[in-house]
Amino acid sequence: MSASRPGGPGDEVLGVRPVRVERPETVEEAAEALRRAHAEGLTVVPRGNGTRLHWGGVPRSCDVLLDTRSLDRVVEHAAGDLVVTVEAGVPLARLAEVLSPAGQQLALDSPVEATVGGALATASAGPRRLLYGTPRDLLIGVTVVRADGAIVKSGGKVVKNVAGYDLGKLYTGSFGTLGLIVRASFRLHPVPAQHAYVTVSGREPLKAVLALLHSPLVPSAIELDGDASGSEVVALFEGSAAQARAAEAVRLLGGDARVGEEPAWWGAYPEGEVLVELRAKPSELPDVLSVGGVRVRGSAGSGVWFLAVPASEAAELVVRLRARWTAIVRHAPVALHDELDLWGPSSTLALTRRVKDQFDPGHRLSPGRFIGGV
Amino acid sequence: MSEATPDAGAGAPTGDDPFGALLDDCVHCGFCLPTCPTYVLWGEEMDSPRGRIHLMAQHHEGTPLTPEMAGHFDACLGCLACVSSCPSGVQYDKLIDHTRAEVEREHPRTVPERALRAAIFALFPYPRRLRAVRGPLRLYQASGLGRVVQPVLARLSPSLAAMERLAPPLGRARRLPERIGARGERRAAVGMLTGCVQREFFPQVNSATARVLALEGCDVLVPKGQGCCGALSLHSGRTEEAKAFARATIEAFERVDAIVVNSAGCGSAMKEYAALFADEPAWAARAAALSGRTRDFSEFLSELGPRARRHPVEVTAAYHDACHLAHGQGIRSQPRELLRGVPGLDLREVADPDVCCGSAGTYNLLQPEAADALGERKAIQVGATEAELLIAANPGCTAQIASALARRGTEIAVAHPAQVLDASLRGLGATPLLSHPDQIARTTMR
Amino acid sequence: MLQGLAEELRRVLRPDSVIDDPVRLRTYECDGLTVHRARPGLVVLPEAAEEVAAVVRACVARGVPYVARGSGTGLSGGALPRTDGVLVVTSRMRRILEIDLDDQRAVVEPGVINLDVSKAVRPDGYHYAPDPSSQQICSIGGNVAENSGGAHCLKYGFTANHVLACEIVTPEGEIVTLDDGPGYDLLGAFVGAEGTLGITTKVTVRLTRNPEVVQTLLAAFSSIEQAGEAVSAIIGAGIVPAAIEMMDALAIEAAEAAVACGYPENAGAVLIVELDGPEPEVAHQFAQVKALCLDAFEQRVARDDADRALIWKGRKSAFAAVGRISPAYIVQDGVVPRTSLPRVLASIDRLSRESGVKVANVFHAGDGNLHPLVLFDDAEEGAEERAEGVSGAILDLCITHGGSITGEHGVGVDKARYMPRMFTDADLDTMQLLRCALDPAGLCNPGKVFPTPRLCGEIPRVRRGEPEGELY
Repeated sequence: MSASRPGGPGDEVLGVRPVRVERPETVEEAAEALRRAHAEGLTVVPRGNGTRLHWGGVPRSCDVLLDTRSLDRVVEHAAGDLVVTVEAGVPLARLAEVLSPAGQQLALDSPVEATVGGALATASAGPRRLLYGTPRDLLIGVTVVRADGAIVKSGGKVVKNVAGYDLGKLYTGSFGTLGLIVRASFRLHPVPAQHAYVTVSGREPLKAVLALLHSPLVPSAIELDGDASGSEVVALFEGSAAQARAAEAVRLLGGDARVGEEPAWWGAYPEGEVLVELRAKPSELPDVLSVGGVRVRGSAGSGVWFLAVPASEAAELVVRLRARWTAIVRHAPVALHDELDLWGPSSTLALTRRVKDQFDPGHRLSPGRFIGGV
Repeated sequence: MSEATPDAGAGAPTGDDPFGALLDDCVHCGFCLPTCPTYVLWGEEMDSPRGRIHLMAQHHEGTPLTPEMAGHFDACLGCLACVSSCPSGVQYDKLIDHTRAEVEREHPRTVPERALRAAIFALFPYPRRLRAVRGPLRLYQASGLGRVVQPVLARLSPSLAAMERLAPPLGRARRLPERIGARGERRAAVGMLTGCVQREFFPQVNSATARVLALEGCDVLVPKGQGCCGALSLHSGRTEEAKAFARATIEAFERVDAIVVNSAGCGSAMKEYAALFADEPAWAARAAALSGRTRDFSEFLSELGPRARRHPVEVTAAYHDACHLAHGQGIRSQPRELLRGVPGLDLREVADPDVCCGSAGTYNLLQPEAADALGERKAIQVGATEAELLIAANPGCTAQIASALARRGTEIAVAHPAQVLDASLRGLGATPLLSHPDQIARTTMR
Repeated sequence: MLQGLAEELRRVLRPDSVIDDPVRLRTYECDGLTVHRARPGLVVLPEAAEEVAAVVRACVARGVPYVARGSGTGLSGGALPRTDGVLVVTSRMRRILEIDLDDQRAVVEPGVINLDVSKAVRPDGYHYAPDPSSQQICSIGGNVAENSGGAHCLKYGFTANHVLACEIVTPEGEIVTLDDGPGYDLLGAFVGAEGTLGITTKVTVRLTRNPEVVQTLLAAFSSIEQAGEAVSAIIGAGIVPAAIEMMDALAIEAAEAAVACGYPENAGAVLIVELDGPEPEVAHQFAQVKALCLDAFEQRVARDDADRALIWKGRKSAFAAVGRISPAYIVQDGVVPRTSLPRVLASIDRLSRESGVKVANVFHAGDGNLHPLVLFDDAEEGAEERAEGVSGAILDLCITHGGSITGEHGVGVDKARYMPRMFTDADLDTMQLLRCALDPAGLCNPGKVFPTPRLCGEIPRVRRGEPEGELY
């Protein structure tokens, strides 16, 4: 049975306390909740495990907080097809447990406590995005509940499928503003027999990164942590002969390159008052490192960076970053939101607004959480 | 779905509409587009093989042959790259030959067009007439009087002049003896086609061919009565004219075991005699026999196998696939093997080898803009190989590419594979291939 | 009716870039799928994004529908023109604008041929991963529209996974760049939208490092079931080959006739299994694959690149090659979960036997993407209808097994009528919300993908019927 209760302490989304909290246990119950909200003209904000609930903008209104954590069934694991279908509230950690006996994984590095729905809604990915891509690349089908409560799907449960629009990609990263993601199908990958990390430090990280990218060694990830004065580049190799390839990488990189352990910072966001995600070309690494005098961490092979910035310096730095790159403020003290303009400029803002108008004409889903007040 | 149906059987080709059946082979996949020179140039469907087949089908279904349609057929080089790239086995060669004949019958050409065509077909298939224009041409080039002479000669002269620049000085060319004896133990007796343009503008290629054959142990017979093989006419829709030339050629070569041809266009045409005369009982068997005995120079040597010693020829060379060799006769590996067998020769590949250089028989005379644009493309690609020597088995190709390179201010020596083999077998090294001043196209074509 | 538009466009484009001669127009009446034909009202061959935008704006101003076309190799009629509209052909927009190896990307115009991207970076050890069988001629713009896959997408993914940005002309004539910037992932939704959300004018593609080694195995089995079991065994062993392709006896016969690929004689099915990657990985896995193909009566390992190319040539030319053994045929593109392959193939075989309609099977076995080629003689009364019947029944099979009606050819005009078997009205309506957002007037490639166009709220207009392509 769907649980419904008044919102209380601990239910706030960036300080906004919901009037009511709904916790549906089935897709049908979730749809019912949205149909009711539609009929009553209520605003709805979905949440999962709250891993990234502090990302994005402050909701303009939150009549209903829709908690997806009881939508927690693994619907189908078709091991022979390397496909899994799960409900949105399943945490990634539990999904991994279900898949591991078959020697399979969802190759998505996100904090393990995050739910599938949350990972999709925020399009978050980690180090292995270099090889496996981001949630949009792994998602093959999705079911959402629309603002009016209709249950609709796109895609399917086969890895290859071009029938109809791929709305899964549209929902991915939409911060709950287009519909409530309730179920998702993913393509899976075999769990590799070996993992090996190669670490190299020094003042010329770009040389190491390019050497790895241009090599035929196929690292799963090339991560970097550091600043202009020095940094550590760590590459991950996975496979049945990962160790041999790591040894080859050590030879290729020379210097102090060595096979090592997974570093403590692997896949973790740098900690600070303000977190900025920066997208640049891999070859722009030296400029990225020297731009703000702050610590930079991220996927050097893909050019996706995270910068932890003190609140007092954030506004100035963000302006500087945006002069050249895409910089999204992932989280910041609410007081700074307006000044920082979390999402920054977008060439497609007008189109984004028009999409929102079609999918949620009443602007009742996560209002204000996304770019341009969407 | 599950209703039982009578056994349909494979669709038997309908005998009453052979052209329609040939058209039906095309499944519209588009695989021919990237190798079609005019599609490469203009990116238009109507100027691709797939589009032309579509136009042919429109005409076949009753649409009158419009000037636009004729223009797209005329723009086809007949390079047959599409035949090589077609996975469905469409016989575009037959389609276009048939269509060209149709165009000649139905499409009224303008007076200047007619004059140009008449001039071409009154000149090129006749070696003696070709020789006669060689002197005046030179004069025409040197004096600059060309601008005032009649437009037809103005149109023809650049191509003739391009070949003229590659030809040895007038007067030195000597006719080949009727018989050249094998050196060493005799391995074969072959007839040799001397061609028209080859004989008059590139006699050195013919003598090299004869020498190489003799050095490889062949008795070489050069029948005196031979004339034009009819290739130009055949590939321009002038079927009756082509047949007349073909009959004479069949008669001239009836008594040899194999006919070695060193010009790609000629060899390709002679291999088509069988199809050309298929409906003429009096000639069908004789034509088929001749087609069966026809061999390209490199094809013949590859079948014969090397015997004579190869001496080094130190040169960086690019090999260009003549369309009528690669696509018309499917001969690609043999000339390359032959050239790789020459010590010291560094053989480079040219990008997009399937795409025609724009020479294409009479094409550069009839469609000069397209021909120039294709020549330009090819010149850039040949230039990129940084080769000193361009090797091709068709006189038109060498003239076309050398001229295009010259327009770009690049000089390159040119040779037929026979000349390279000749230099190797006789131990002459690369010098004669590179040093002959007249073999380097120096001046621009216009 | 379009004469005024033609004159207007001749002032904007080069005059020879506007085609209105009826004979010429007809050569554009179909793409790679010839069963649907419609002579376009007008064809334009723009050479720059600004020209495309001008054409679109002119169309919108007059309420004229328009359709984009690349090389015209699509197999679902996605580029089927409108007789009352303009066909925007991108084959003259074919420059490779930029190659940036350090950032592993290239910027190309939409008319650039897929294989030409790989050719351009081959000397540097890179390639463009999506490799549809038509890669020698299909255009990148067309690939973007169709989200093209190819034999190697099992490991490397589809066009959507290899496109980093697209400059498009929106259905209202604005030039906009879609990339990974903030906002909805419109790039992800645009790729594969079959040209209904705008026209691509520039594409930034990802370049992929060539693998250190490639190993290709051609394994011949006496039955298609055995081959299917080998596929399951390989995937079950945790191996992700670069490609696993299967062809049945009839398809082999056609390929052999077309390109003399030299496949083992009397094979009931052949598998092409290709592994690529770092040498130690491939060595380890290739040994496993060979062992898992133990039921094969012959195994042949490609000796070198030329040998590998020959093995692939048979596979890649299979569609067109079927033209050699049958006067006409329908290519299907259904997908089933890989584990359902044996059951589905058995059902197809039964369908074929019961109907007397021959079916040749060529498919991407690794991802369950079937390409049954349903053969018929178009000269024979009723043969095409019977073939259509079998073809539709095969799609039904795919849907019943939890699959899809199209894996890579797209829905286009050909399969729009099957969409309701896979999606509910609400599903389809939701997809069309996106279309309404971008193309409220419904002028951009109308009549494709969706069986029933949705009314876009703010612009009242009558429902458009089926596209008007005459059926041959």
